[in-house]
Formats: sequence, structure tokens, C-alpha cells
Amino acid sequence: MVSERSRRRAWTTSVLALTVVILLYLTGGVLSGLRSAANLVVAPFSFVINAVARPIGHTLAGAINYSDVVAQNQKLRYQLGRAELRANEAWAFERQMMQLTTNLHVPFVGALATVTAQVSAISPTNFAATIDISKGRDDGVMAGMPVVANGGLVGHVIDTTPHGATVQLISDTHSQVGVTFAKGTSDLIVGGNGVNHGLSARSVPFSAAITPGTRLSTDGLSGGLYPPGLPVAFVKTVTLTPGAATYDLTLQPAADIRHLAYVDVVLWEPAA
Amino acid sequence: MTRSVVPVTIVTLFLVALQLSVFSSLRFAGVVVMIVWLWPLCLGLVGRTGLGLWSALVAGVFFDTHSVTPFGLSALVALTLAYGASRLGKEGVGDLDSAAWWVTPVLAGVGGLFAPALFVAAGAFALDFSLWRNSVAPMMMVNALAFMVLARPVTRLARWSSGMGRSRR
Repeated sequence: MVSERSRRRAWTTSVLALTVVILLYLTGGVLSGLRSAANLVVAPFSFVINAVARPIGHTLAGAINYSDVVAQNQKLRYQLGRAELRANEAWAFERQMMQLTTNLHVPFVGALATVTAQVSAISPTNFAATIDISKGRDDGVMAGMPVVANGGLVGHVIDTTPHGATVQLISDTHSQVGVTFAKGTSDLIVGGNGVNHGLSARSVPFSAAITPGTRLSTDGLSGGLYPPGLPVAFVKTVTLTPGAATYDLTLQPAADIRHLAYVDVVLWEPAA
Repeated sequence: MTRSVVPVTIVTLFLVALQLSVFSSLRFAGVVVMIVWLWPLCLGLVGRTGLGLWSALVAGVFFDTHSVTPFGLSALVALTLAYGASRLGKEGVGDLDSAAWWVTPVLAGVGGLFAPALFVAAGAFALDFSLWRNSVAPMMMVNALAFMVLARPVTRLARWSSGMGRSRR
């Protein structure tokens, strides 16, 4: 009797596990359909949870963090003033740069159109650094397009729906960005270190003269994922392993990717 | 089991919504607490194997459709936790009535400790070898602590929704 029950339980478990394993390999169209269906089912529950949790959360956060909010507001006003000043200064340089790049037939991000989108959700898991944004295919957003915010590259679009898109951040462990520094004479590959960590570059040759504070920008190599000149990161530390012929870099993203509210999708598609 | 499937499914969907709406933003030390894993584990601890596996599948699949990690991995981890816990639950080890007060939190803590590692290991089978680079140790610690704290209220919810009534303690 016991063996009969155990056998049935083992069968149930095996069938469920097998179903999941098969689903693991079902990607693409099937998955996007499933995602839409799941969204439809969970949406009413999320609506109720949000209706209850958000006001409570906002009340608590507002009460506890009031002085922080005021201080943050003052800081933001100061930063906005500085940014406006810099923008005015940069305007003349940008015009000059556009003229030069047009003559050289090189794409320049300042001349590329962008779509501003609101961040609607952050990755629900610990294992992927992604955000969902409020603009999708209907607004011209396509998979592969670079996304910028807060003064630097944030990531690129990996999935789109008619009214939304998913952006893989540069801190995701799957992210690889080709960068350049030292007036474009040296190139590196920068990889993400995960949700709560910055970026890094490994096996950098000694010939590349690099110091903490060096700014790295996208290299814009032919066939690459990004146009040239987008600020990616600053060198934080340079680590030399004794006996190694190369060094490793710890990098600080140029954009503050932990606090994203709005982003700009650059309407630029990587070359096929 | 059949009578309890509907309430358990509804509670599961509410918990998935809570996970996506609240817990994904409310990070502790930058780590998301995975209540979609705690819930099937607690159902297992009260000895409801079938309901535990069902809720693991529902919670995992619905959560996975909102995540960009390989589809089905969260469900696989939830199923493993539910099955493992139900083995103990059947013996009355993790139940609120028949064990010491600290047993349920400790068992849930152990589940929370190993769940992220299990996810990374399962990721290798889905040919995703980069999951381990996401600092698994803090995830294990935070989830273990959170599971310990939440184990008793969630186990009570599991008893109530699966039609077992209130616990005596």
C-alpha cells in the first residue's frame, strides 16, 4: 500500500519535473505567449496588492525619510544647475563634433534620435540585471537599441512588446560592451558583475596605459552593439596579480544604474 | 487535496503578485527575498505534498514568465524545496503542532540557504553558466534569514488555506 502511494507520488513529481525541464527549452514565441498569458492572470492580483501596499509604503517612506527627501531635493537642484551650465558649454563643442563626424561619415550619438521612456519595473530576480520600460515597438523601440540615462550607457534592449521593452543593464553577467580609451588607441571588453555590483575588465595588457579615473566609452567598432562615444564607466581600481602579464580593472558605471526612473532609448540599430 | 486546490492556487497567485509588486523592489542588502520559494516549502512542511508541488509549479511558472532567467528554473527550485520539505512534513518534523517552535524556522532557513545555490546549479543544466557570478553568498544569507523570520506565519497560512485549520500553537 505504502509502495503504491510512494510510486504515485514519485510519478507525479517526475511528471511535474519533466514538464518544467521541457519548458526550460521552450523559448521565443511560446515563451512570449506564456508571458502575456501569465501577465493577464497575475494582473488583477497585482492590482489589489499595489492598491493596498503602495499607499502604506509611501506613507511610511514619506514619514521616515522626509528630511532625506528635502536634502536630496536641494542636491538635485544644485546638480541640475551645474548640468545646465555644462550643457550650454557643451552645445558649441557638440556642433563642432557633429560637423566633423558628418564629414568623416561616423555616427555620432548627439545626432541620433532618442525615445524617452519611464522605468516601469526592475528585475524581480536576483539573477538578472534588467529593467522594463514603458515604450515599445509602437514607439520605434527595437531589440538591440542602446539605452542611456544619468550621463552614460545603461544597457540595451533585449525584448520588446507593442507598449513596453526589457532592457539588459550593463551590470548583467551576460553583458559585454566593447570600450575604448586613451583617445581611441586602446580597446577593451567590459563585462557586468551582477545585480549589485559594478563592472570589470580582465586581462588588460600592460601596453594599455590606464589609471584610476580614466573614462571608457563605447568603441563603435563596425558590427558592434553600440554607436561610438557613449560613456560607459570610469576606472575605479587597477589590480595587478603578481606574475601575471596583464591586469584587471574594477569599474564604476558612468550612469547611476541603481536609481533609474527615466531612460532614453537611442534609435540606433546595430549593423547586421 | 482537490477541495484545497482552489484556495491554495488563489493564495499562490496573490503571493506571486506580492513577490513581483513588493518584494522585488523591497530589497534587503540588494537581495530579493523569494517568497515564491518559501510558500511551497511551507506547504511541504505541513505535510501537503500534492498541494506543495502544485503551488511550486504555479508560483514558479508565473514568476518565471516575469523574469529573463532561463524559463522554468524557479519552478524547478520550488518543486525541489516543496518535495524535500514534504518528506519531513509527512514525518511531522516541520509541523507547527508536533515539533518544537524553532524547528519550522530552522528548516525554512536551511531551505532559504540552499535555494539560490540550487538555482545556480540548475542553471548549468539550462546551459547558463554565468549565474554563479551574481554573488550567491549574500542571496543565501538573506534568504535564509528571511525564510526563518517568515516561516511560522507562512506555515500558518499554508495550514489555513489547505484546510487543516489553525495550529494549536
